[in-house]
Amino acid sequence: MKTWILALATAIALGLPATAAAQCDLDNDVPLTMLSNSFEAWKIMSDAMTSCGNFEATLDADYRLKINDALAADPAVYTMVGVSNATLTPLLADGLVRPLDDLVEAYGQDLLPSQLIRVDGEVVAISMMVNAQHLMYRSDVLDVLGLEVPETYPEVLTAAEEIAESGLVDYPLVGTFGAGWNLGEEFVNMYLGYDTPMFTDDNRPNVANADGVAALEMLAALGEYMDPEYLSFDSTAAQQKMQQGQAAMTNLWATRAAAMDDPEESEVGGLVEFAAAPAAFAGGAPATTLWWDGISIASNVTDAEAEAAFQVLLEGIDRDVLAEHPDAAIWLSNPPIASDVAVGAQASAEGGAPAYPSSNLIGIMHNAAGEFIPAYLNGETSAEETLAAMEDAYLATARENGLID
Amino acid sequence: MNQRTFWAFVGPSLFMMVLFIAGPLVGVLVQSFQQQRADFETVERESCTPFGCTTETTAVPVTDDDGRIVTRTVWVGWDNYAALLDPDAVRAALNAPGDALRQLAQIRFWDALRFTVTFALVTLPLVLVLGLLLALAVNTLTDALKGPTIFVTLLPFIITPVIGALAVRWLFIGDGILTAGLERLLEREVAMFAQGWTIELMMLGYRVWHVVPFAFVIFYAGLQTVAAERLEAAGIDGATRWQKLRHVIVPHLMPLIVFVSLIHLMDSYRVFDEIVGFSASGYRTSLQYLTYEFLVPDESGNRSIGRASASAVLTMIGVVILLVPLLRNTWKEQRRA
Amino acid sequence: MKARSTLHRLPAVWRTSSSLLVAFWIVVALFPIAWLVVMSVKLPIDAFAPNVLDVLRGPDTRARVGGPSGYDLLLAGASLGLAVTVHRLRRTLFAPFADTVGELNVGGTILSYLTTALTLGVTTLVLTPWLGSALEAATPDGPLAHPLLGATLQHFRAVWIDNAFHVHLRNSLYVTGGVVTISLTIGALAGYGLARKGSRIAFWILIAALVFRALPHSTLVTGYLPPFIEFGLYGRQIAVIIVLVAINQPFTIWMLRSFFANVPATLDEAAMVDGATRLQAFWHVVMPVMWPGVITTGLFSFMLAYNDYLVAALLLDGRDQTMVPAIMQYFNRETTLGDQLEAIAAAVSITGPLFLIVLVFQRQIVSGLTQGAVKG
Repeated sequence: MKTWILALATAIALGLPATAAAQCDLDNDVPLTMLSNSFEAWKIMSDAMTSCGNFEATLDADYRLKINDALAADPAVYTMVGVSNATLTPLLADGLVRPLDDLVEAYGQDLLPSQLIRVDGEVVAISMMVNAQHLMYRSDVLDVLGLEVPETYPEVLTAAEEIAESGLVDYPLVGTFGAGWNLGEEFVNMYLGYDTPMFTDDNRPNVANADGVAALEMLAALGEYMDPEYLSFDSTAAQQKMQQGQAAMTNLWATRAAAMDDPEESEVGGLVEFAAAPAAFAGGAPATTLWWDGISIASNVTDAEAEAAFQVLLEGIDRDVLAEHPDAAIWLSNPPIASDVAVGAQASAEGGAPAYPSSNLIGIMHNAAGEFIPAYLNGETSAEETLAAMEDAYLATARENGLID
Repeated sequence: MNQRTFWAFVGPSLFMMVLFIAGPLVGVLVQSFQQQRADFETVERESCTPFGCTTETTAVPVTDDDGRIVTRTVWVGWDNYAALLDPDAVRAALNAPGDALRQLAQIRFWDALRFTVTFALVTLPLVLVLGLLLALAVNTLTDALKGPTIFVTLLPFIITPVIGALAVRWLFIGDGILTAGLERLLEREVAMFAQGWTIELMMLGYRVWHVVPFAFVIFYAGLQTVAAERLEAAGIDGATRWQKLRHVIVPHLMPLIVFVSLIHLMDSYRVFDEIVGFSASGYRTSLQYLTYEFLVPDESGNRSIGRASASAVLTMIGVVILLVPLLRNTWKEQRRA
Repeated sequence: MKARSTLHRLPAVWRTSSSLLVAFWIVVALFPIAWLVVMSVKLPIDAFAPNVLDVLRGPDTRARVGGPSGYDLLLAGASLGLAVTVHRLRRTLFAPFADTVGELNVGGTILSYLTTALTLGVTTLVLTPWLGSALEAATPDGPLAHPLLGATLQHFRAVWIDNAFHVHLRNSLYVTGGVVTISLTIGALAGYGLARKGSRIAFWILIAALVFRALPHSTLVTGYLPPFIEFGLYGRQIAVIIVLVAINQPFTIWMLRSFFANVPATLDEAAMVDGATRLQAFWHVVMPVMWPGVITTGLFSFMLAYNDYLVAALLLDGRDQTMVPAIMQYFNRETTLGDQLEAIAAAVSITGPLFLIVLVFQRQIVSGLTQGAVKG
C-alpha cells in the first residue's frame, strides 16, 4: 500500500514514461498506424508492434464506426486495420484492403497456410487467432448431481432444472444475452444450429419459420434459468457471474476461458471446465459460430509503407510474443501454442460448427435480432410477431442499401 | 450600433453555427428524402480461412474500375418516414381494441417517442420543484454551512455524465448495494434491471439527480435578488409563508423557471446516455438512441442513413413542438425588449 | 438587505424540515460518487462483492495487499485537519494579499489554494506513510499497527503509470483550454453585439440559436467524419475544439448576451463619445465589469468540453484521445474485472479537477448568475 503511494507520488511528480517491454527485432523507421478492436489480444499484439518504433495503435471497441471512412481516405488514415470474418466484408467490397501475396512471398515464410485469409485466391488478411463461444461448466456442481456434460440444448435445460432444484448455485445458467449485438449473436448461433439457411437465394430473409420459432423458444427457455437481469449481460457480466460462483453453466467466448482460473478475480479457480458448444438438437453440429481475427493493410498506402507495415505486423504476431500469453486467445502459430483453455473451441470446431458468415446480409439480420428479440423475451410479443418484425426490419435496411429491390 | 459593426461582432459566432450546425442540419433534411443504394450482383467466390476453404454464392456490390463501390442516390419521397412511422401497422393497431397499446409499442419509433416524451415531461416538474425547495432550504442555512452545502449539491451536475450514469448503475445492478438494501426492506428478491418500469424509474431518477443541482443554483442565485422590502410588505399584509412563496417568490423567479424548463426539455428530449449507461435498450429506447442505431454500421458495414435522417428530423420537430409554449413566452419578451 | 434576513426567522418546524431536506440531498448527491471511490481502491473480488460490508472492509484486498493501519488513518485524519486549518487561516497567512475588508485578491487566493493543496499533498502522500511505517515498526503488536481496511492504489498506479494516462490529461487540458478560450472570445463578441442591437435580425439569430441548442448531437456529429478526414482534420485536437466551440455557441451567446444586457448601454456610449471605437469601448469599458459573467459562462464551457465523449471519441484516436473516451475504452475492452476497476480508478481521477474547479469558483458561479443571467 504505502510503496504504491510513494511510487505514485514520485511518478506523477517526475512524469515517468510508461515502460514498454521491447520485443521487436526490427527498427522500423516508417510511420505506421493501426486501428483495431480493443480486447486483450489486440493489446498484446499492439504493444509488441509499438516496440518496433514509429508505430501507433488505436484500440477502439467502436472501430467499425470509423473503419470504412478512414480507409477510404487517400492516403488512408490508418496503415493497418484489425479485421474479423464479419468486418472484413465491407472493406473487401469497397476495395479498401491490399492484396498481400507479394509480401507473404517475401516475408511470410513462417506463416501457416491457414493463417492466410484468401478471397478468390488473393491473400487479403493475415489471421492470428480464432474465437468461438463454447460451453463452460462447473465440474464440481455436475459431479455432485451426477450429471453428464450436456451436449445439446435440451440436455442443458434438463441439467439446469436439476441444478436449480439442488440450490447449489444462484442461477444454473448465465449467457451473453444483452440486448443488441450480444443477443443477436446468440440468435445467429442458435438458428444456424438448426442448419437452415437464414436467407433465400435472392437475398430475402428466411427466419420466420419453424426453426426460427424453435430457436426463439430455446433462448426463452434458457433465459428462465438465468439471473432475471440477463438482458443487460455482456461477456464481462457473464464471466463475472461464473467467477463469483453464482452460475453453473454458460456458453461463453473462448477468450474468457482463462479468466475462470484467474486467482485475482475468480472464486472458482480450477472448478470450471470446457466443452463444445451444445447442439440445437441431438445429432446436430454445435450451435455456435467460429470467428477469426486478423490484420489487413489499407490499399491507399504506398508500397514502402505496406512493406514496412507487413514486417511490423509479423512482429506483432510473432510466436514469442503470443506464447507469453498462451491463454489470452486461441492463437494460430507455427508451431502451435499449447493452451489449457482451448479444448472447448477445438471441440466445437471438430463437431462441425460453422464459421460466422462473411456476407453483406448477415450483419442486418444480426442487428435486427438484437433489436427485436428482447421484446419477445420480455413476454411482450409472440415468437411469430418477433420473427416477422425482424424480417421487416431486415427488408427495410436491405432495400435502403440496394441489396434487394 | 450600425449594421456593419453588428455583423463584425456577431460574424465569427454565426459562421461557426452555420458551418457546423445549420449546414449539417440541411444535409440531414435532404438525406431524409434520399437513399444511397449500391447495385448488387451474385457471384461465386472462393474464400479460405483458418476453418478451411469454401466456395459460396454471395451478393457483392458492383464496383467501378478502381474497385470502389458505385452507389446511386435515389430520391424516395416520404419512404424513409413511412418506414419509421409504419402507418399500416398503426392502423392495424388502432383497429385492434384492447391490444392497441401493445401493438403500438412494437413499432420502434412510437415506442421510443412514448418513452422520450414521458422522460422529458416527468422529470421536468421534479427538477423544478426539488431545485426550488433546495434553493429555499439552502438559503435558510447559516453562512458557514452555505459554502460546503452548495459545493456538495453541485457535484451530481458537474460529474461527467457517462461516469455518473455508470456510478448509479453499479449501485443497482445485480446485487448492487442499493438493490440489496431494497431486498432487505421489502423482504423479497429484487432485480432492478429485469423489467422495463424499474429501468425507466432508474433512468428518470438518475436524470433528476443529475439536473436538480443546475435548477438549484439558478434558483438560488435568483433568490438573492428577491427584494426584501417586498417580502416585508407581504409580511405586514399578513401573508402566510405559502402565500409569500406563491405570490412573491415564484413570480420573481418565473423567468428563471422558464429558462430552466427550456434547457431541461431540450436536454431530456435527446436522452441517450441513460439508455447506454443503464443497458436499457432491451426494454426502453429513446428517439436519439433509435437515430444512433440506424446511423451506426452493422457488422457487415450496412447503415440506414435515410431512416436515421428521417428519425433525426422527426426528433427535431418533436422538440420544437414541446418547446413552443415556452418559446412563445421568450418570443414575446424578446419582442418587448 | 436581502431576502435572507426574513427567511432566517423561520419557525423551528420549517427550519428542521428544510435542514432535513438539505441533509437528505447531500447524502443522495454524494453517495454514488463516494461508492465509486471505495470501489476504486479494492481488488476485484471485494469491489464486486455482493455483500456491502465486504466491499467496504475489503477482506480479500487486506489479505493480499494490506491497507492503511490505524496509525495511517489517524495520521490521514490529522493531515486533513491540518489542511483545513491552513485554509481557514488563509486570510491571516496571506495578509499582504488582502484588501481592506480582509478578502484576498486573485494572486492571494491562488497562493492560498496552492498552499492548502501542498499541505494536504505532503502530509498525506509523504508524511503519513513514512510516520505510519515508523509507528508500526515501533509497536508491531499494538492494536493500531495492523491494516484495518483493505485498500490498494494499484488501479491508480496502472492507470497513471503503466498506461501513461497523463497523456490523456494533457490532451483534455489542451482541448478544454482551447474550447473555453475560443468559445468565450467569439461568444462575448456576439453576445455584446446582440445585446446592443435590438433589431429584428438579432432577435431571429437568438431564436435560431435556441433551436440549434435543441438539436440531437449524434445526428450532427456523425456527419462530420467524412469531411474531417477529407480535410486532414481527423485525429487533430483542433478539430474537436472547433466542433465543441460551435456546438456550445448557442448557449454561450444566450448567457453572455443577458450579462451584457445588464451593463448599461450608456457606459460604452459615453466612451464612444470620448472618441473610442466600438471595439475599444467593448474591451476597455464593458469587459472589465463583465468578468463574473465571463467566468460563469466559461465554467459551463469548461464542463461541456471536459465531459465531452461523443465528439472526441469520433474525431480523435490513440494517444491524442482526451480522458473521457479513453476511460470508456477501458470499459469496452471488457476482458477482465481488473480492467473495469482501472476504468473506475480513471473515472475517479478525472473527477478530481472538476471538484477543484467547483471548489475554487463556486462563489463566482452563484454571484455571477445573480448579477447577470438570472436577471435578463
